[in-house]
Amino acid sequence: MKLFVKYNRINLAATIIIFLLAAVAFYFSLQYVLIAQLDDNLETEQAEIEKYVAEHQKLPEVFTIKDQQIVFSLAPNNSNIKRRFTNVLLYDNVDNNVDVFRQLNFGIQVQNKFYEVKVSKSLEGTEDVIKSVAIITFVTILLILLVSFFINRVVLQKLWKPFYTTLGTINNFELSKQKQITFQPNNIEEFSTLNKIVEKVINKAQQDFISLKQFTENASHELQTPLAIIRTKLDILIQNENLSQQQTEAIHAANNALQRLANLNKSLLLLTKIENNQYEQKTNINFKSIIQNKLIQLNELIQNKNIQLGLNLEEVSINMNNDLAEILLNNLLINAIKYNVQGGKIIINLTSTQLQIANTAQTSLDTTKVFTRFYKAEQSAHSNGLGLSIAKQICDTAGYTLSYSFNNNYHYFIVSF
Amino acid sequence: MKVLIIEDELELLNSICSYLGNDNFICETATNFHSAIEKISLYEYACIVLDITLPDGSGLEILKELKKQHKADGVLIISAKNSLDDKLQGLKAGADDYLTKPFHLPELSARVEAIIRRKYFNGNDVITLNEIVVNTSQKTVEINNTLIDLTKKEYELLLYFISNKNKVISKNAIAEHLWGDDMDLADSYDFIYTHIKNLRKKLLNANCTDYLKSIYGMGYKFSIH
Repeated sequence: MKLFVKYNRINLAATIIIFLLAAVAFYFSLQYVLIAQLDDNLETEQAEIEKYVAEHQKLPEVFTIKDQQIVFSLAPNNSNIKRRFTNVLLYDNVDNNVDVFRQLNFGIQVQNKFYEVKVSKSLEGTEDVIKSVAIITFVTILLILLVSFFINRVVLQKLWKPFYTTLGTINNFELSKQKQITFQPNNIEEFSTLNKIVEKVINKAQQDFISLKQFTENASHELQTPLAIIRTKLDILIQNENLSQQQTEAIHAANNALQRLANLNKSLLLLTKIENNQYEQKTNINFKSIIQNKLIQLNELIQNKNIQLGLNLEEVSINMNNDLAEILLNNLLINAIKYNVQGGKIIINLTSTQLQIANTAQTSLDTTKVFTRFYKAEQSAHSNGLGLSIAKQICDTAGYTLSYSFNNNYHYFIVSF
Repeated sequence: MKVLIIEDELELLNSICSYLGNDNFICETATNFHSAIEKISLYEYACIVLDITLPDGSGLEILKELKKQHKADGVLIISAKNSLDDKLQGLKAGADDYLTKPFHLPELSARVEAIIRRKYFNGNDVITLNEIVVNTSQKTVEINNTLIDLTKKEYELLLYFISNKNKVISKNAIAEHLWGDDMDLADSYDFIYTHIKNLRKKLLNANCTDYLKSIYGMGYKFSIH
């Protein structure tokens, strides 16, 4: 639920309750005042009748006017007629219908006879007033609903617009794309404060991200020289002709570990550089010829596993960075060979929309983790678990999608251009 | 032939000098920008091995200085940065080759020799080692005046051995020279063995002395005197 919808609901409910309460209070006080007024009028009537009787020693002539009736009726002599006000239903001769009347009963003595007098005044006018009150209340509530709906739709939405713009900007923000974030200035304090804080947080995150990446790059670079020292020292050490077998084996193991370390460092450096957009220059690349060249380069590996190749390559020209294209194809093809079975197959389909590399395999890789850094399907000293992450990163940077699936004992890696 | 090694890391400098300085080369060293500038102004070198990042100046400035002084010294850049930009910049500034750390010393040696061959023999160099004659421009090998037929990899391997003659070369260094660092170590050992076996067979069939020695568990050595 949106904030202002919620706010409006509370606000409207409160307003309606207050209006209803006010209407009820108004109804009762109005009724009280109007009836008091009627009672006053009835008393005036009584006074006039008593005055007339006192002057003329006879009852006044009864005539019925609209909304008023006076009835005299003979009462027993000794009866004690109590003076009282009541609400009664009476037939209104003028309007020809039954109405509620306010009636004053009192006794009067004319010569020796006692009469009970009933003076009634219609409450119809009062009811009309009360009806109008109800109508006005109802209309007001309706108006409030309408106006708040309007405010909701137009005004509030306009007022909250900067907030939604900010939300959209944050939503579209990607840390890895080093894009400066800017907000439209606005004159609402809360929103400009929000924008300022968001800007600050994002700038901080961007700076941290940059410095982290720089750190990775610098650390990798700094590692290269010590690695070079170790490697050259080992190269010199093996020139010694008097090494024992044990020493030879130790040096060989050290050399292998060093190779892994150097490859790992190289891969990390490559990933960082791709992330840092250091491969920006793009050219039109003939994917078909790169694939064919790579397959020639990797021929020994392919022969070694007796792998059969199935090629269906169209002439496709792709606009991307040359080095990244080479690395991408290299990683995908090497994987297709490395994780193939003896006597297996590699099928490569290249069309203008996608490149599909499929190879025979026994089990599926974990599709959720396959592109995760340092993910290895099997614990292997021959893999650093970065090859596919690099391929993925290259595709992401180039705006392509790299997907993996496993079907009928084939790994499928598909690059969609 | 004199080579100048410009490198601020002393241990790396020592390694390079001790490897290169054995028979063919006389190694001179410079550990900072100023002594490097001084040496290139005073002497001529067959090749300069240049670390691009020096504490008191950029290696690129040294390249510019060489150009300004119209020196024809060959230059091999060694850099911790494996970036194309740096590579292009270095080559544009007049370097002959670019090698990324961490490198194998046999690789460095082979590159230095290749630069010297290109510079001083105009690429038409013929290397003669006893009965072996390698024409590096035509990429042909003759044994006792008979042309032998080598595959590309076998030729590369032979040239690599000749550039590092009398040195033990580890299998890792050979693998990296032939395939780069993309290969599985375990796989590449088998391939190296096959290639060396074939190369040796071809050399022996042409009545070449058996110079290729396998050093147990370590690598190979091309012993020739």
